[in-house]
Amino acid sequence: MTDYIDVDVRPILRAGGEPFSVIMSALDRLEPGQGLRLYATFKPVPLFAVMADRGFAHSAQALDAGEWEVLFTPTAPATKQSAPASGTSDFDNWPEPVVTLDNRDLDPPEPMVRILAAAEKLGPGETLSALLRREPVFLFPQLEKRGYHWLGGFSPDGATYELTVRAPS
Amino acid sequence: MIGASISRWTMSYFAAALAWLFVALALMVAGLGFPAVHLASPDTLVLVHVVCIGWLSLAMCGALFQFVPVLVARPLFSEKWALPALGLLTAGLVSLLAGFLGLGGRLPAWLWLLPLGAILLAGGFGLVVVDLGMTAWLRPVGPARFVLVGLASLCATVAFGAMFAFTHAGWAGSIGETILANGVPLHAIAGLGGWLTLTAMGVSYRLLSMFMLSPDVDDRKSNMTLAAGALAIAVAVVGGIVAIWLVSGLNVVLSIAAVLGLATAALYGRDLIGIFSGRKRRQLELNTRMAVLSFVSLAAAAFLGVVLVLTGAFAAHVGAFTFLAVFGWLSGLVLAKLYKIVAFLTWLEAYGPVMGRTPTPRVQDLVAEARASKWFVIYYVAVWFGTLTLVAGQPSAFRAAAAMMTIGLAGIVREVIRTRRLADVAGSLRLPNGACTPCLLCARA
Repeated sequence: MTDYIDVDVRPILRAGGEPFSVIMSALDRLEPGQGLRLYATFKPVPLFAVMADRGFAHSAQALDAGEWEVLFTPTAPATKQSAPASGTSDFDNWPEPVVTLDNRDLDPPEPMVRILAAAEKLGPGETLSALLRREPVFLFPQLEKRGYHWLGGFSPDGATYELTVRAPS
Repeated sequence: MIGASISRWTMSYFAAALAWLFVALALMVAGLGFPAVHLASPDTLVLVHVVCIGWLSLAMCGALFQFVPVLVARPLFSEKWALPALGLLTAGLVSLLAGFLGLGGRLPAWLWLLPLGAILLAGGFGLVVVDLGMTAWLRPVGPARFVLVGLASLCATVAFGAMFAFTHAGWAGSIGETILANGVPLHAIAGLGGWLTLTAMGVSYRLLSMFMLSPDVDDRKSNMTLAAGALAIAVAVVGGIVAIWLVSGLNVVLSIAAVLGLATAALYGRDLIGIFSGRKRRQLELNTRMAVLSFVSLAAAAFLGVVLVLTGAFAAHVGAFTFLAVFGWLSGLVLAKLYKIVAFLTWLEAYGPVMGRTPTPRVQDLVAEARASKWFVIYYVAVWFGTLTLVAGQPSAFRAAAAMMTIGLAGIVREVIRTRRLADVAGSLRLPNGACTPCLLCARA
């Protein structure tokens, strides 16, 4: 079990401040093997690459009102080849999607059917991206059972859910 | 895990609920309870609790065990509690009904059965409230807030009911006697208004916007509706207890609660119009069309209530008002949504594992809407006819209406069973490699 240190930069962001130095100083204080749990008012995509360079995998999860919780987990060299669980795996170096689906105006559950059909056609390690109206809650268990990884969240206006699915490599 | 899996026992709850609804209709056809006898008679208590606990509460609990995890995109707090809760609720209801029958002289007067039933029901509902409450609490947005207020109202309802049960057995002293003598309307308002109506409203927001491809109702609007509804229940329950304590009569409190209740129905109507006018899907499915008839019934019940109050006839016709609210609005909505939920869950269970790998039917291929719609129409027409017979004071015509409701219900249940058995799916698509027919009464783990 990884031990996580909480860093909540939402107050800094709401006040219009720059949280980068706070995150980096928290990072410097981590014990070996410790991870970082970050709370932010948006999905901090640029940070993912920085953290990957420092040896941290990330898993992002949307909270209410467009806020995000991101777990940065140190990647131990010994476990690199073992497949982590879906939804919590490291998302470094995901290739550009080979398929892009716009499922926003399809009747439920058609978006789920199309994503699963397209996912089945992906080559090992390939990704697809899909736009949806809602969080596809019934799709996640199906993806998990089939060994796919995914990353998803609402756009800042809350109207579109963006999902990226990666086939097992 | 993020996401929601298929609730294992939702079908079991639905099956038990429908069985109790048949029991209730059989009692009405046989002329037991209201309107043949007074509203407060033991026979009517049997009928009312079969409908409200056996049918509506079990169906609502079954739906919520599936729906709350979907609302909050998290698994249920404990999947393991659903089945014991169903057992406790069923045993508690049977004990309570036997106690009522004893109260009416139809069985030996073992009045200890009433508190025993209350304890079992409190245990069952307690498991449901903690399980659903702990799940909804994780992400209390939009519709989940309605569920939380509904669960709080359920607690109030059970507390009143338990107090009444202990009083009937002679174990609650003079305070119990006072509350039993005056508090029955509060018990009914908390149960029908708070638990069943507010929860049904919350669930309907999400189901309707999901199936009609409509944007979710703005949180500020739905919060206003919920605030009016929660205030109505709070005024009725808290104000009612204070009024009973001060021996000042319930009229003022119930009038304020009624105005707030009317405001809640109006705000809900405004929210529904927003969902329907913002929809991207023009062609409505049967479940939505039939839900509209339940909304019409809610509006009609509100209208009937206002007319009865203005003409000073509410007390004489409270049975007709309640009948329309319970069977037109609540039962109509539950039946319409149950028809869709069963189809969707059956589809997901049967074809989810092979989806994308082989051609699978659509959800709509599991149902035969043209055939099912006539049973719903028969049911609703019978309910409206039944309401008129109650207003007109025609108990034998009411029994005919109940018989017609039974026919409509039997038709609907037959359709639901056919859906569950994949009986309407074209042969070539029915069971592709790796798919199997779901079990009728529960989902496979």
